[in-house]
Amino acid sequence: MAIAVKKLDLHVGELVEIEGRRYEVVPDKTGGLTIEPPITPISELYEKRGMKPASAEDFERIAGDLPTDGEG
Amino acid sequence: MELSARDLPARFDREEWREEVERLDERSASRIQAERARREIERDKTVLDFEKCEIDGEEGTNLLGCVKQYVPLGRQGASDAPFGFVFQLAQNPDGSFVWNFIAFGERHPGNPATRTVYERAHKRLHGRYP
Repeated sequence: MAIAVKKLDLHVGELVEIEGRRYEVVPDKTGGLTIEPPITPISELYEKRGMKPASAEDFERIAGDLPTDGEG
Repeated sequence: MELSARDLPARFDREEWREEVERLDERSASRIQAERARREIERDKTVLDFEKCEIDGEEGTNLLGCVKQYVPLGRQGASDAPFGFVFQLAQNPDGSFVWNFIAFGERHPGNPATRTVYERAHKRLHGRYP
């Protein structure tokens, strides 16, 4: 028996729930879409905790002399 | 007194850890290495050997304000240390600074469909992949 194909109209950034688990629709690396467990933006997490990113000046003062290797 | 990167604590909060590390199979090499590295860092922060992340990285990532720590600790080359943590310099409500863990993953995934740790960090900072 042929398996029926469910056609889904999904777009990047939308959330779907499958068997109680949430996934986010994201672009894959070949021009298509895929789903993966969501990555909560750090701004949302900081807001809950009363935190904020350090300023560029503070980062330069504290970490300016750290090395970098060009990788990422 | 001037602060240096090594003076500050590294923090692993619950949500980031769950999304970055606990998504991985408990028996996978990547999760085991991440959990071991976290234990080592929390026991002794002098093991940290940060490097600055790129503002214009290889995959179009912008990780301004972030540093990386290769995993396992104490190793550098991609074959010896295939994974990485990314931390962002953040300020607590009391104004103190902390290295806040934001991403974990492979540096150079063998599977081209897998996102690098830098792409995951970019998504957490900017809300989308580069």
